[in-house]
Amino acid sequence: MSVLDYILAGVAAVFAGPELAFLGLPATPMMILCGFLLGIVVGSTPGLTAPMAMAVSLPLLISAFGFNPDALLPVMGFLIGVMKGGTVGGAVPAILFNTPGTPDAYMTTLDGHPMTTAGQPGKALRIAHFSSASGDTFSDIVLILCAPFLAVLVEQYLDLPEKTALLLLSLAFIAAVIGGSVGKGLISTGLGLLAAYVGTGEDFYPRLSMGTEELSRGFPITTAVLGVLILGEVFKSLEDERHRRGKGSVFKGVSNTGDQRLTRGDLRRIAPFIGRSAVIGTAIGALPGVGSTLAATLGYTVGRARHAKNSPEAPQFGEGAPEGIAATEAANSSVSGANLIPVLSLGIPGNAAAVFLILAAETIGGFNPGPSVFKFTEQPNPELIVAFGLFTAMMIANLLNWTIGGVFMRAMGVMMRIPKQILLPCVLLLTLTAIYVQETRMEAIWMAVVFGFLGYFMRRVGMSPLPFVIAFILGGKLEETARQAFAATGGDAFFLFSSPTAILLMGLMAATIFFSLRRKSA
Amino acid sequence: MTSRANLYLGLVSLVLALVVIFLWIPLDTDTGLIEKVRRRVTIGDALAPTIAACFVVLGGGLLVLAERNAADQPGLTSSNLRHVLWVLGLVALALLLMRWAGPLLMEDYRLLRATAPWKWVGFVLGGTILVTGLISAIERRLSLRSLAIGIAVTLPLIVLFDLPFDDLLLPPNGDV
Repeated sequence: MSVLDYILAGVAAVFAGPELAFLGLPATPMMILCGFLLGIVVGSTPGLTAPMAMAVSLPLLISAFGFNPDALLPVMGFLIGVMKGGTVGGAVPAILFNTPGTPDAYMTTLDGHPMTTAGQPGKALRIAHFSSASGDTFSDIVLILCAPFLAVLVEQYLDLPEKTALLLLSLAFIAAVIGGSVGKGLISTGLGLLAAYVGTGEDFYPRLSMGTEELSRGFPITTAVLGVLILGEVFKSLEDERHRRGKGSVFKGVSNTGDQRLTRGDLRRIAPFIGRSAVIGTAIGALPGVGSTLAATLGYTVGRARHAKNSPEAPQFGEGAPEGIAATEAANSSVSGANLIPVLSLGIPGNAAAVFLILAAETIGGFNPGPSVFKFTEQPNPELIVAFGLFTAMMIANLLNWTIGGVFMRAMGVMMRIPKQILLPCVLLLTLTAIYVQETRMEAIWMAVVFGFLGYFMRRVGMSPLPFVIAFILGGKLEETARQAFAATGGDAFFLFSSPTAILLMGLMAATIFFSLRRKSA
Repeated sequence: MTSRANLYLGLVSLVLALVVIFLWIPLDTDTGLIEKVRRRVTIGDALAPTIAACFVVLGGGLLVLAERNAADQPGLTSSNLRHVLWVLGLVALALLLMRWAGPLLMEDYRLLRATAPWKWVGFVLGGTILVTGLISAIERRLSLRSLAIGIAVTLPLIVLFDLPFDDLLLPPNGDV
């Protein structure tokens, strides 16, 4: 099959895949639509996050579509929709109520809310939506163009020792750049790896199981991931909410005055800011672990300097400048597509949303994100067709974003009225139920609760839980690759230094830790 | 005064990691770091967890040596520990109710675990306690409203997870 054949097969797989029985419509596009709308709702609701929605939806989706390769595109399409909708939705409460729906929308509050108080909430939301959709689309195009090439390069030039070194470099990079402390990042990574190795191994006796049956089966991936990521966040938010109660918050209405439309003049003004931030966000998103919050901050900072220099007479960033919303939203939205570059080309998740895409692929089977996916063989390679199906799904989600995303987003201000003290316990019960229906044993819930408290403590001491989760997912792969590399080099204990590329990657790993440490202590 | 949270966290991590490396891994893993089987050298089961613990040692060491005077050092407070205790207590109570309410109320619950509405007894009771308890704790008062919300939340979950899917089991029906 040629490249074009694969692209067409991917598009066809989306539209000619399984149908929704009760509607007779192709399931994947419908699931992308549902996921996208759910994502906007979730992103617009302070206290809810896209990964929460992905975590809870996953068992339902898998039950609905089954454990077969046909389920991959509808399920992953839904998750992609949630991811993209969540990115757009985060701007709504930030602009209307000065409360970011997602952490990366914090910078949006700085100019979005002043515009709302000045009577221009509609215009601010339109600018946020236009910028977000532009950044997201740009990022997806870069993903589609780059991921296959990167994967082919990795497969062609990296052998087993180099792949092991690359995995170690990725883990060290994630540990070093996420959060404010290299030491805490490394501890989080080490704990994630350690948890992944409990109850596994090649020997007859399941290692580190303390002779118990529960640990001998290892920690199910859902308990560790949902526990640390979702339950940990819920436990922390419950405490924050408990302390916040009594201080009171006034829910103010929003009023529109004047023209709320987005004119050509507006678009001309914000276009350079969108372009710059989209490039910044995409470049940052392509690095595993570097989140959209950093992209938003960097996009905003660069945009602010430019704006102050070029238009000193116009409202400056922080005073209700439309350019400020554009710079932030384009930057944080362009991270989501680029974040899938390491997932699809290397099999390394870069953020929480990507973690759930990998989780879906692993649970369903038939698709192992990584360099081996992009093999353009004569005989049809089903994994490559799925990859092009995913690219198609992303483009459909973008199309939905451009067409109905703005309208739906502007109607979501109502989500702010749901009290957090009701929302958080509901999310907790929903997550525990989702874990049980996947594992069908109470001990899985208990394990998830323990991981939840681990996630809570990590957050309280300023340790990011994301390195833990990524290390937990990559732990098995790291050990397997290392075992194969060790065997392939004839039992060479220094296989990680057996070639110039491997030495370079290991050197980069040491340099990443060293320079991050210096930068953060400066 | 600079917080010493990083120093304490680093020291605790170092101690735990050293316990893992020198006690837990050797005592609880059957193969060593490197194994020789029929003149073939392979990686043993102890190597990967040892490397994992080395990450923790490295991280703990950096906290103690290089980041002990960092500017931003959030740490745990007694209020955090109290929060953990009451949430853990409430979650434990709810999960125990979820697991045992059905079997305690009905002698032959095992036979009824696929029969509505009996199969939902534990889930509704445990779920309601969990949601109501947490809302009440945040609002610092027990109200009929929070009880109503607790019940109202568990019912849609039954509709969402149990009614449409034969293969999904709500807690605790996979255990009894």
